[in-house]
Amino acid sequence: MAGITISSLSKSYGGRHLRLTAVQDLDLAIQDNQFITLLGPSGCGKTTTLRLIAGYVTPDTGSIHVGDRLVSAPSGVVPPERRGMGMVFQNYAVWPHKTVYENIAFGLKLRKLSSTQVRDKVEGALDLVNLKGLAERFPNELSGGQQQRVALARSLVVEPDILLLDEPLSNLDAKLREKMRGELKQLQRRTGITFIYVTHDQAEALALSDQIAVMHAGRLQQFGSPFDVYTTPANRVVADFMGLVNLVPGRIRSISGDMAQIEADGGLVLVAPRPPEMALGMEIEIAIRPENIRLSATPETFAGVVSERTFLGNLCEYVVVIAGGRALRVQTHPLQQFSIGQNVGITIDPSQCSLFAREPDAVASAA
Amino acid sequence: MTGATVGSINLGRQVPLGLTKQRPPSRFTRLFSLEYLVMGGAIVALFVLVVLPLCFLLIGSIWGENGFTLEYFTEAFSGRLYVQALLNSLILGAWTGLFSLLLGLPLAWAVARTNIPGKPLITLTANLSYLSPPFLTAIAFVNLFGPNAGLINAFSRDVLGLPWLGFNIFSMSGLVLVTVLHTFPYVYLLASSALQSVDASYEEAAQILGASKWRTALLITTPLVMPAILSGVLLAFVNAIALFGSQAIIGLPGRIVTLPTRIYSLFDYPPQYGLASALSLLFVFITIAALYLQRAYLAKRSFVTLGGKGARPQLMDLGWAKWPLFGFCLLVFFIAIVLPYMTLIAVSLSKSWGLAFWKGLTFEHYRFVLFDYDVTQRAIRNSLGLATVAATVAVFLGAIIGWIDIRTHLPGRKFLDYAALVPLGLPGIVMAVALIQFWLSMPIALYGTLAILLLAYVGRYIPLGVRAANTSLRQIDPTLEESARILGASWGHTLKEITLPLMRPGLFAGWLLVFVPVIQELSASILLFSSSSMTLAVAIYNLYETGYTEPVAALAMINMAIIVVAIALARKIAGDGIGRESDKNLTTQGGTA
Repeated sequence: MAGITISSLSKSYGGRHLRLTAVQDLDLAIQDNQFITLLGPSGCGKTTTLRLIAGYVTPDTGSIHVGDRLVSAPSGVVPPERRGMGMVFQNYAVWPHKTVYENIAFGLKLRKLSSTQVRDKVEGALDLVNLKGLAERFPNELSGGQQQRVALARSLVVEPDILLLDEPLSNLDAKLREKMRGELKQLQRRTGITFIYVTHDQAEALALSDQIAVMHAGRLQQFGSPFDVYTTPANRVVADFMGLVNLVPGRIRSISGDMAQIEADGGLVLVAPRPPEMALGMEIEIAIRPENIRLSATPETFAGVVSERTFLGNLCEYVVVIAGGRALRVQTHPLQQFSIGQNVGITIDPSQCSLFAREPDAVASAA
Repeated sequence: MTGATVGSINLGRQVPLGLTKQRPPSRFTRLFSLEYLVMGGAIVALFVLVVLPLCFLLIGSIWGENGFTLEYFTEAFSGRLYVQALLNSLILGAWTGLFSLLLGLPLAWAVARTNIPGKPLITLTANLSYLSPPFLTAIAFVNLFGPNAGLINAFSRDVLGLPWLGFNIFSMSGLVLVTVLHTFPYVYLLASSALQSVDASYEEAAQILGASKWRTALLITTPLVMPAILSGVLLAFVNAIALFGSQAIIGLPGRIVTLPTRIYSLFDYPPQYGLASALSLLFVFITIAALYLQRAYLAKRSFVTLGGKGARPQLMDLGWAKWPLFGFCLLVFFIAIVLPYMTLIAVSLSKSWGLAFWKGLTFEHYRFVLFDYDVTQRAIRNSLGLATVAATVAVFLGAIIGWIDIRTHLPGRKFLDYAALVPLGLPGIVMAVALIQFWLSMPIALYGTLAILLLAYVGRYIPLGVRAANTSLRQIDPTLEESARILGASWGHTLKEITLPLMRPGLFAGWLLVFVPVIQELSASILLFSSSSMTLAVAIYNLYETGYTEPVAALAMINMAIIVVAIALARKIAGDGIGRESDKNLTTQGGTA
């Protein structure tokens, strides 16, 4: 089966003087029939990981197995053409000198299929991506979205076990991106092909994936379901990358069982679930999502003053200044309106907060 | 896993089509794949063509009968003959550079930035001047300004009775004049493309801040295009000093010996290989230094093109001043194109060249060179064959070397790239000396065969092939090849189906760029030819040396006709858009004729 096992994979580029580590000690077990996203900011190593899986790049250390077949190791790689994978590129890479038909038929002809078989399969693939009737067009006569579908059809028609997608939607406009996103998800469900999808767009990753691998600076930060990655980020980097977050410094005042009482800047006192490694008196940071803070016109235990208001249509975003001058970002229902300068009560849902140990330099700067 | 069937495709197959399970291939087996064989072949070819001959040139210059010696270099730096040749070459280069600037820049500015009429004429002038074999221009001017028989000199002396009005072409000024007509296009093409690619918004930004048009031109435009202009001047310099034909035809009768003609004379019996090698190395050093400067300047040009697509240069309305400028352009057109070609045509048709040449026009000389002079047909066949093969080989090798440089991480690929560029700094005669040194010490007798000429041409013009390939490869996104690989295409199949078809226009431009100079190559051929491997340019030069004034002109016109037909044919085959690209390549590289 087409599960992928990546163990202690590393790759760095450059010469003797300046070496850039693209991927470092990556371990990842990808199950068959899943939609996996490699997520991270540009330069985090996600594209290099994808190209390592595809066989374009030879790793420095570690290995990649597809099923029980070793495909990549520092001593050699199975070349891309022997991997039976498909890949869709960010710029589509639809060959400009071949028609849509010739583009899609390319891989089939290499597999020595008869011409009727080729024709049938190309027809089927065009149908699959809603491009019927465009077979004789050249790529320059197609829109970006249509070219994207050609690229998809070309990869799918050879029936790969694994389809690699490198930011395939980033060159499309917002509406079309939304639409293709839905189609991609459907395709994966229908075909059962393992999709490995690279993106820097966390919304895309949340919407599409069965599992998200968050990468940063060449290292895997967290591997889990979209819900887990969003609600219980493994570290500060993940919390910061997955949507908006308020990071408030504080320390642990007391511990009782799984819960810890935390006192944070601005007079916030919370009782939140405690990660096992956290001990009494530790300097920490609390990650609070803006949507997990509620505002009220009546004073509560914590209070603040609204200093900025941004209407975003489906929600309203406020900046609320609490004691000590610390600013919190808060998102509310658009109909719940507060005015600038208004005193508001603040309620935080502690079960949705995450605690991270503060890094030494962060402690120093906070002191 | 359950296979879902969508359309007629079963998308849930469990074993990929046509692919077998296997372990990664070892390094050993990879070495014998087609990919590595082709790349290895290209690398070996580059060594045989460029690197080894240059090594033998170096060895030849420091290795005498009794081992290591510096006597050749001492001689080259102290012998009066050699120092004088060096000085003459530098003087010629400097004057040519200056006058190329004075001619090329106004034309470039007029075309790119003013509303002057007749712009196509100016473009035509520059292109034709570049394409004309320089020795043909030289021969034409000798027919006009030769001290005794030159038509204009004879006219002012015998008819007007004003001998002081005459001009002796066999002088440094004559040599500079003839050379400039071939080299000013370098300045023109680089400067005009730079002027055209400066984004107008840079200038508009200066003007909105209060700068006048002239101030803007001085403070914004000039600094932006200066690197391109200087780079053009240096290319003009390098090409000027490498032209053997005009320096032999104009310089030798005027006792102005330059480096190429001095090296040539060292091959008179007994040949002095060591000294020739030392002088050649000195020559290489000068051109490489100039080309290094040129590249450094050109590298700075990158910020000009940053303007991107939206370059809409402002055209300056010159008012009445456009007429004097237009007059200047017409004058250049007349001197560079009309005068030499009219002269050659007139000479080739006249029974005997002189003041009364128009009496008794005849095609006799064409008949003579084509049918009676037994060398011509062989020379045409050789030149056409050599140019076709050399251009094809240079472009194919260039494509592979360019591919290695851009698409692989092969260690040492930068060295390959440099090695493929070095011949740009090799004047033809130096290439010939290096090849002679190399092949004379090999057990294969190549000297005097067509093969050694082919090696010389491919070696000299391989930079043009590599550049053409590099330019078009850079425009082809690597993912176009990668997507073929992941669909199951091997390296060779990808090259054949994707890479080469996409590179075709660029490669064709490169092919033409090699073909044209090879057809008129004289500098290297003059040392390497034999009677069986005679080429067209050598045939013309020999005929001229023997003193056949009128048949030479006829043969020259035939040569020009072949070039024009070849270019027209190539453009027809390759479709449009070739000319533009070859112009662009030409401006940044410039082969020496």
